[in-house]
Amino acid sequence: MRLELRDVHHVYAAGTPFEVAALRGVSLTVEPGEVLGIVGGTGSGKSTLVRHMNLLLLPAGGEVLVDGVDATTLKKSELRRRVGLVFQFPEAALFAPTVDEDVAFAPRRLGLDEDEVRERVRESLGLLGVGDLAGRSPFALSGGEKRRVAIAGVLAMGPEVLVLDEPTAGLDPATRGELLDLIRHLREAGVAVVLVSHDLDEVAEVADRVCALHAGRVCAIGTPAEVFYRDPGLAPVTVRVASLLQESRPEIGEPVRFGETVAALSALSGV
Amino acid sequence: MQNPGTGTRPGGSFAVSCEELTFSYPGSKERALSGISFELRPGEYVGLVGPNGGGKSTLVRLLNGLLRPESGSVRVSGHDPATEPFEVRKHLGVLFQNPENGLVAPFVEDDVAFGLENLGVPREEMRARVAQAIRGVGLEGYERREPHTLSGGEKQRVALAGLLAVEPEILVLDEPTSMLDAAGRREVLEHLEVLRSRKTVLHVTHHLEELLNADRVLVLNGGELVADESPERLLADPELLRENRLILPVVPRLALALGLRANFKTPEELAGTILTGAGSGTRSG
Repeated sequence: MRLELRDVHHVYAAGTPFEVAALRGVSLTVEPGEVLGIVGGTGSGKSTLVRHMNLLLLPAGGEVLVDGVDATTLKKSELRRRVGLVFQFPEAALFAPTVDEDVAFAPRRLGLDEDEVRERVRESLGLLGVGDLAGRSPFALSGGEKRRVAIAGVLAMGPEVLVLDEPTAGLDPATRGELLDLIRHLREAGVAVVLVSHDLDEVAEVADRVCALHAGRVCAIGTPAEVFYRDPGLAPVTVRVASLLQESRPEIGEPVRFGETVAALSALSGV
Repeated sequence: MQNPGTGTRPGGSFAVSCEELTFSYPGSKERALSGISFELRPGEYVGLVGPNGGGKSTLVRLLNGLLRPESGSVRVSGHDPATEPFEVRKHLGVLFQNPENGLVAPFVEDDVAFGLENLGVPREEMRARVAQAIRGVGLEGYERREPHTLSGGEKQRVALAGLLAVEPEILVLDEPTSMLDAAGRREVLEHLEVLRSRKTVLHVTHHLEELLNADRVLVLNGGELVADESPERLLADPELLRENRLILPVVPRLALALGLRANFKTPEELAGTILTGAGSGTRSG
């Protein structure tokens, strides 16, 4: 599916003295099967933005379109199955006595038969590398394991777009790397992923396109190179290193991913 | 300054000392910490890393008396946090991960004064210490701002000022940047760097790049202290990193991939070396 936000506005506490315009005319698309990174400082509107992707928040102005159709005309349950939203620290919502029961909760509510539910639970836990935890209590798991079980719960709905809001915050480096592998894997399986993150190095590694927000507006959107080379001061480490070399060695181009950067810098004579 | 006569207490010449420290959570068969021993000398800047569930947060809670050891001992400036938690909190302040949870007052200056009020510090002295702490984190002019209007980095600096006002000689930083954006992270780290000459610091983090200037790095995994190394030696030991679910920061990883030594700390240092090397042929380190 193709998800489009067209001139979306959002105002918190409208009509009160505490009124805050969180989004001021945001337009972007999530193309089928792509990884879209959303970056921006605290308070730039990232979390407000992604809550419009499945109409958890309704825009005060503008519209959300699914394959060109106004999303408000679709059944909400259908929209939320197709666009799965994983909040920050999603492990806080784990509730069932066992991991597999927790993950089975949402697909069961879709009215699937029990064999199909079992299959989806097995598949989702497997994708996240936590299949062996199925019978355990979610509350006895480590932080990284809980996070993965919570993501599996959303994945089990079979979304076409998976929105992850700061999925790696507070995780150890190896677990962070495993979640990035999962994102690559989902892309191969045709699932579009929206990755909200303040870790620019991590966005650089997996995003096909990047959208930078500032004060509720899109200040840059495009390929990672287009966005990150605009302001190398707040860019991933790879871009910062390459930008410092660019002036005297323009032939290195604009590498972003780690592998691309190594290749570009190795090509400099003598390194 | 603090009373220097603590040398006769057990562990008194150390800022922090833990001996055979063991702890299990109620109802859990596994030990969260088993037999941890280490010391922090006054003025040291020590990192604490390790996988999720490795015991880092448990150790922090034992240091400030939120938890009591099952066996073994903890001493903070010679005091036992389990029996003298209020005394210990004058010597050791903890900066937690999420600044939202720590800010309580309507204005920045009241928030910074909160810890001192609890200690019953006289009004005039309190005013002076609050003003000094606010200067210490570069927030002059923010005294009458409301905390909820601040950015994440600013909120974390307010929380840090609240700790500094109590004038503890030891700071424990429990993932202080993990909720912050890139600008906020840089801002908080710069202020911590300024403090290190005056404090003993234990800095818990998942980001090894924040510890490149530390004196030592402790690694906790499965409740055991598996390494106590200089950052240079930790970064040069791929096996130790892998076993403890750590990954080399991007700058040294890039350097290694280019056939250089790993001990580069900033993009500027690495770029400078590449330029020099590229201009005048290969140079091995």
